[in-house]
Amino acid sequence: MEDLEGKKILVIQTHGVDTPTRTYSPVYYAIAAAAMEMEVMIWFTMNGTNQLRKGEAEKIELKPGSGVTLKTLLDQALDAGVQLSVCQQSMDLWDMKPEDLIDGVKILGATSIIDLALEADHVMYF
Amino acid sequence: MSDVGIVRGCKIPRDLYYSVEDHTWVRTNADGTVTVGMTDVAQNLAGPVLHAKVKKVGLTRAKGKPIGTVESAKWVGPIKTPVSGEIVAVNEKLADDPQLLNRDPYGDGWVVKMKPTDWDAEVKALVTGEEAVQKYKEKVEREDIKACDHIE
Repeated sequence: MEDLEGKKILVIQTHGVDTPTRTYSPVYYAIAAAAMEMEVMIWFTMNGTNQLRKGEAEKIELKPGSGVTLKTLLDQALDAGVQLSVCQQSMDLWDMKPEDLIDGVKILGATSIIDLALEADHVMYF
Repeated sequence: MSDVGIVRGCKIPRDLYYSVEDHTWVRTNADGTVTVGMTDVAQNLAGPVLHAKVKKVGLTRAKGKPIGTVESAKWVGPIKTPVSGEIVAVNEKLADDPQLLNRDPYGDGWVVKMKPTDWDAEVKALVTGEEAVQKYKEKVEREDIKACDHIE
C-alpha cells in the first residue's frame, strides 16, 4: 500500500435522493480515501444537494433490511475527517436554507470549487 | 480464571495489550518486536471483510497512524497502530484471504509486526489482563455494540 498521506481528492456528487442507487459509492470512496490518509472533500451540487437536507438521507437504505442508511455513511465520512461541502447556488434550486442542512456541511460558491478542483491531486466526478 | 475474557460473545484474550478506543491489540514477541492486529469486536463491527490493504515493510508509523485499511460491504476504515515504530513484517495472507481478520483476529489474522520505538512509555496507555476485559465491557455497553458473530 502506497503512502498517500496528504494527497488531495475532490469528489463531486451530482446525484441525490431521487436516484438512491447512485448516492452510496461516492461517499464510500471518500471514506476510503480518508482512511488512506488523504485530504478529501465531497462537493454536493445539482441533485446531489438534496441528500443534505435534514431527515432525507435516513430514508435511503443501502440494502433493504441492512439498517445502513445514507445518513450512516455521511456520518462515517464526517467522523473520518471528510469535508462535506455544498454549492450555494444549488441550495437555492432546492429551496434549502443553511438551517435545513445536516450538521458539519460547509457552504461554498462556484469560484471555490474551481479553486479546489485545481488544487486537488485528483477529481472524481459522479 | 480463563485466559480469554468474553464480552457480549466477543473474545478478549487476557495476555494481550489493547487500545480499546481503536479496537487494536498488541502482542509482545521474544525478539523485541510486537505483533499488532484488530480485535474480535472490530471484526464484528466491520462485518465480513472484503479487502484489507496493509502498509509496507520499512515504513515508520507514529502511534495513531494507519497501518492499513479494511473494507466490508458497510464499512471502510483505517487500522490505527497503538504503538510507534517501524513495520518489520506484514501479513501477506490478508491480501488473498482478508476474512482471516474475521475468523482468527488474534492468530492468523494478525496485521503487522513492528519494532517499537517507545514501547516503555506507550505501553502505559494500553490495557491488559482483567483491566482490558473490563474496559471493553464498559465500551460495548456504553456504545451498545452488538454481540459478536463468528464466521467459519
